[in-house]
Amino acid sequence: MGVNKGIADGVGRAHGASTPEELKYQTEKREERLKKGLQPAGGTGTAPVMASSDPNEPLVYDPQYILMVKNLKKYFPIKGGMMSHVVGQVKAVDGVTFNLKRGTTMGLVGESGCGKTTTGRTILRLSGEKTGGQVLFNGQEVYDLSPKEMRSMRTKMQIIFQDPFSSLSPRLPVGEIIGEAVREHNLVQKSEFNAYIDQVMDNCGLQPFHKDRYPHEFSGGQRQRICIARALALNPEFVVCDEPVSALDVSIQAQIINLLKELQEKYSLTYLFISHDLSVVEHISDTVGVMYLGNLVEYGATEDIFRNPLHPYTKALFSAIPIPDPKAKMNRIVLEGSIPSPANPPSGCKFHTRCKYCTERCKKEAPVQREVEPGHYVVCHLFDK
Amino acid sequence: MSDENKNVNQNGEEQYSLNDDRRVKVLSPGAMVAKRFFRNRLAVTGMVILIIMFIFSFIGGLVSPYREDEVFYRRDYINKEYVGVTENTEYRYLELTEEYGAVQQAMTVLAIQQDKPTIEAKGKTYDVVKEGEGLYSIKDGDTAIGAAYLDIVSAEDSSVKFTPDFQYQALLAYIGGGGAFTVDGEEYEADELGMITKGGESYAVCSRYIVQSKTSGTVISNEFREALIEHLATGEEAFTFTDPEGETAEYTLVYDPATKIWSVKQEVSTQVFDTYSFPSKTHWLGTDRNGMDMLTRLMYGGRISLMVGFIVVIISTVLGVVLGGVAGYFGGWIDNLVMRIVDIFYCIPSTPVIIILGAAMDGMRVEPKIRIFYLMLILGVLGWPGTARMVRGQILSLREQEFMTATEACGIRVSRRIFRHLIPNVIPQLIVISTMSLGSTIITESTLSFLGLGVKFPYASWGNIINDVSNSFVLTNYWFIWIPAGVCLMLTVLAFNFVGDGLRDAFDPRMKR
Repeated sequence: MGVNKGIADGVGRAHGASTPEELKYQTEKREERLKKGLQPAGGTGTAPVMASSDPNEPLVYDPQYILMVKNLKKYFPIKGGMMSHVVGQVKAVDGVTFNLKRGTTMGLVGESGCGKTTTGRTILRLSGEKTGGQVLFNGQEVYDLSPKEMRSMRTKMQIIFQDPFSSLSPRLPVGEIIGEAVREHNLVQKSEFNAYIDQVMDNCGLQPFHKDRYPHEFSGGQRQRICIARALALNPEFVVCDEPVSALDVSIQAQIINLLKELQEKYSLTYLFISHDLSVVEHISDTVGVMYLGNLVEYGATEDIFRNPLHPYTKALFSAIPIPDPKAKMNRIVLEGSIPSPANPPSGCKFHTRCKYCTERCKKEAPVQREVEPGHYVVCHLFDK
Repeated sequence: MSDENKNVNQNGEEQYSLNDDRRVKVLSPGAMVAKRFFRNRLAVTGMVILIIMFIFSFIGGLVSPYREDEVFYRRDYINKEYVGVTENTEYRYLELTEEYGAVQQAMTVLAIQQDKPTIEAKGKTYDVVKEGEGLYSIKDGDTAIGAAYLDIVSAEDSSVKFTPDFQYQALLAYIGGGGAFTVDGEEYEADELGMITKGGESYAVCSRYIVQSKTSGTVISNEFREALIEHLATGEEAFTFTDPEGETAEYTLVYDPATKIWSVKQEVSTQVFDTYSFPSKTHWLGTDRNGMDMLTRLMYGGRISLMVGFIVVIISTVLGVVLGGVAGYFGGWIDNLVMRIVDIFYCIPSTPVIIILGAAMDGMRVEPKIRIFYLMLILGVLGWPGTARMVRGQILSLREQEFMTATEACGIRVSRRIFRHLIPNVIPQLIVISTMSLGSTIITESTLSFLGLGVKFPYASWGNIINDVSNSFVLTNYWFIWIPAGVCLMLTVLAFNFVGDGLRDAFDPRMKR
């Protein structure tokens, strides 16, 4: 743990609970977690329990988790040559393992191109077949479903896209966009259909007369509300929020985040919140996963991760969070070089090319997931006992 | 007080402006498209032109009193050579007995020339008696053995031969100024003009003029001959004659002093095709080369041109959307296959193919009506690759849009995804490409018809109407043949393009209200 403390130093100053506001905030967070039936972070409880680290062992369904993902892999083929045969693979998601409790929010962070979005889409079976691993949604392997079963399963798992401009069909009125899937799956009776859509729109902060408008007549924030309304109209249990606020300005971001939180409380939704905006993730998430080059390098309760980031990459990432104080000195850990190509990832630990604690072992041997604190997992050789 | 009012007003206004429900009337998507379309002046102009063209072509044909291929005639006067008239100046001889032979005849000529009262032949002497102007009798004592005459006795039917006796008696009676005479127990009556009647009916004519028919098979009636002779005698150059059947014709006499022949020309009215007649009350746009009503043909031509255009575009659009849609949506080897077929179709030189197929249909003597259907099929099948490529490209780009992922995430059926989300997004481009190709198809059809490979006579199309202009004489003199069809063609194509543009703008919701 000595090494651990040393590394944690840099971030601790920025994110340690040193001010009364932060203390208050952490207390609030803790209460919130307790309300959701989660163990307080950093405590003795087993907050987000990871599955067994043996990648070949099949998952055993645990009813407290709505989503169990194990060793999920998604490779995209690179075609080339005369006959356009496969010459390589982009390992967008290369062995992601986590469990997601009902009614909680998991934040997924990482720099651009690390495979956050692909993870979200692969979980929802939106980018073709997976390459490997398991996705258990309510104990059901998503990729085992027939197309027909999959279609009805879709109502339970939804997605909110990053770009509210391209995710709405430009030639359909908003009411139709929101209600189409409801009608498709016969979720409500025809007589109640209009009232139901009005209700959903009202929940998402839209006026009933917006129904006959077209998406292009709305602002970005309103469009994102439409996307949320479309997702929620199906009454899902689990929603993948794929950077839902990154295309919006800050004031609207807050509105949308609060709306998402409200709706979560109201319908006890489970979110997988993908973002590169760490403060947003900190605000909304109960647990956070940090991704690097297709791998989950660190995973744990939000407070644990933010208070005590363990993985060198997480530290570097979190050191980039701006502090709203001009006098404060930022101890940024600047990573050398750029993210390696996912088509040709480094051997051993994928982060070793940029890690300042890199050892010979890191270059050869891929680290395995370890529970450093209760419910706080990290994938790094530094924490090998 | 006033401030409060203002506030209220401001509040009211604010609310009012926020509540778009009251401020802006919400229109259904169709109404929005229509509204945007009708705001476009050029598109409306095109629409009006098209409506007029449709009414003109489809209803006009029903209203028109004429059929598409009804041929009209007109009466035309033709001055044709009817008869030739020569005056006989040579004496001819009648052999009343065998005694009057060639020697006697030769002697008679001399006697008449030298004005001798007698001739001598073979030791006998005959008297040459001048009976009157142009008739000498050669008598052996009291008996006439022969005669020399200038006036010719002829029957209506030139094949009828009169006996010398009859001729002699007739001539005697005519020269004598008319009167009755008897030959072989039959009573005849001759008048002073030389008409010989038998029992009141015209029988023969004595005349110094020889009337010869110039056209074979024409029988020159005695009445006409009589009239002709009468007018020749008076020296009139033109006269009208009504024959017993009631046909009246104008005749003119022309004397040619070199040949000493009067040629009589008849002005006959005949029925001919009423070709290239100028616009009139009966034919508002005149008639064409075949004597058919131009306006009616323009109507029927429009019907065929528009129908060919529409059906060809429907065929090519359906083919293009289905094949392009399949290629774009499913991708992979299907996409590859369809696109290679498209490439092959693009490589086919369409104009030569159409010309060859047109010639082949000519060779197989395909019925004109069936030929139109073949033409539609050929043009349709040759026209789809462009549409397919466009649809495929659109769908390929739309398929990757997030709203398509969203439909998948919502578990929406594939068919609904295609027809509700993909196709509506392709429709504007589809409409534009279809309307534009409507125009160009009509042009292609007209070109083919103009070249004689498309729509064939008796069916009209704007192209084969213009085909009548095969030389510069027609082009410069009969404007009504080609200008209306050309204007129709141009206006229709222009209108289709305007409407296509207007629809594209109207379908695009990104355009301001």
